[in-house]
Amino acid sequence: MMNNSIEVKELTKYFGELLAVDHVSFDVEAGEIFGFLGPNGAGKTTTMRMLTNLTRPSEGSASILGMDTVRDSLAIKAVVGIVPEASNVFFELTTMANLTFTGALYGLRRKKRAARADELIALFGLDEYRDKKSVELSLGFRRRLTIAMSLMHGPRVVFLDEPTSGLDVESSRLIRGIIQDLHKDGVTVFITTHNMEEANQLCHRIAVINASRLIAIDTPERLKQAATKSQSVEVSFDRMLESGEEAGLSGLPCVIEMRSLGDKYHLVTSDPPCVLAAIPSFMSERGLKPVSINTFGPSLEDVFVQLTATDKEAS
Amino acid sequence: MSEATSAARKPVAWDGLRKAWAISSKDMKIYYFQPAVLMFGLMFPVAIFFAFMMGRDIEAVTLFPGLIALTLFFSTTTVAPFSVPWEKMNRTFERLLFAPVSMFDAVLGKVMSAFIFGFVICLFPLAIGLIFFGSTIGDWAALILAIVLGNLCMATMGMLISTVKADTPPKVMMVLNFVRLPLMFISGIFVPIQTLPLYGRILAWFSPVSYVVDLLRSGLGFPNYWDMWVCVLMLIAFTVVMFVASVLRMKAWNR
Repeated sequence: MMNNSIEVKELTKYFGELLAVDHVSFDVEAGEIFGFLGPNGAGKTTTMRMLTNLTRPSEGSASILGMDTVRDSLAIKAVVGIVPEASNVFFELTTMANLTFTGALYGLRRKKRAARADELIALFGLDEYRDKKSVELSLGFRRRLTIAMSLMHGPRVVFLDEPTSGLDVESSRLIRGIIQDLHKDGVTVFITTHNMEEANQLCHRIAVINASRLIAIDTPERLKQAATKSQSVEVSFDRMLESGEEAGLSGLPCVIEMRSLGDKYHLVTSDPPCVLAAIPSFMSERGLKPVSINTFGPSLEDVFVQLTATDKEAS
Repeated sequence: MSEATSAARKPVAWDGLRKAWAISSKDMKIYYFQPAVLMFGLMFPVAIFFAFMMGRDIEAVTLFPGLIALTLFFSTTTVAPFSVPWEKMNRTFERLLFAPVSMFDAVLGKVMSAFIFGFVICLFPLAIGLIFFGSTIGDWAALILAIVLGNLCMATMGMLISTVKADTPPKVMMVLNFVRLPLMFISGIFVPIQTLPLYGRILAWFSPVSYVVDLLRSGLGFPNYWDMWVCVLMLIAFTVVMFVASVLRMKAWNR
């Protein structure tokens, strides 16, 4: 039994002199939701385009479900769904016509196309727009339609480029729910995103790419453990602190950095219990009462910032 | 029997043809009634024709092979140079690349939609000539070959032009007219090839439109310049070369 849906070996892409992706290697297990994170221009989309053979690699190779992405391109496209960053629906066609046309490109029979299109229209909440031209759809509904089109043929691997970027909460939640349903159905999902929270909520493993190179790959929680210096204590008092008091707070033992966030103070630390032990005496000396005190582990965003900063320093 | 098993038992060419037809049908729905297509494909040749005819002492019936050729030439070559950059601009052309559609089938689909458009449009001046201006059919075979092979060749020419490095329809239309306008004058549309000066007669060999006009002249009972088989072979050769060049250029995008 094959364990990996996607295998990438030393994948490299040059655009002229520019090195867009630099010898990237990783595997994605069957049925996994795999996140591909990186800042703009890091090489996320180029990597995805190489995996789907929309761009030829300059060096290295990749396989999907055991098939070579270049040699077996058409066979791979028959079992893969692709959602690009831009919602590229045909504005002049109705929602239904966009779906059935996509079905026809995958060789689905007329009856099956219509049935599958109706199924996806219901799943994505597009019933109201079934016979409306796509130009009339809002950004969120166009995005839903784009994703629905990629699922017309029941793919075994789905590539999503920034699936919820710029969407309203309702559309984002619906799309995340559908991604989780795909995982339950055994579909492998490859997501490129720079939305840390989305990656944290959805992905089983995350690869971080920066300046064309893969700099980390692990589960979200293990990646967070690598950023222990980015834990924090957030405290809010019954009144705002004066400047001298703020200096006192930032000078508490174990506080690395203090940031004022609205009516709260965010104390970055590698040892939250140490900071918590110091706060009561700080308050009693100044006659302060606590409104709230919370501790936070490192966020994926902290991990990302730390990793990319370390990589920048190293290079 | 599952869809996949059933598809596997079907010949690959048939599967490709079905996908190409899906692309054509979609193009027909979207592009046939676009103002730019109607203007450059229909109004433009009619306007040029009347600009040439008005005020000149020429029997209208003698100009019909030229009018039909001009309509066929302009209408058929307009569809792909509008639709391909339009889809590149809106990134909808990528939809074809995402799917298991070979570049051959994608190009075939685009060519088929242009062929059908030109085929239908060029029947109008033919019918007008036959009904109102006393045109007669001198050679059915030549006429049918002119319409079928001529449309196919012009559709492929439009497809090839649409592969130029330009990302918007107006830029491609500019290149299209840069090619079309000179061809109009060396192809015997307004003046029969046999009456062109020597350099015109030499240049006429290099224009596929010349062979369409010559076949149409035979078809409508006027003296022709080349034998029918020369025109047929040249149109087939131009079609094959331009089709292959279109597929190769489209594949190059992928690299």
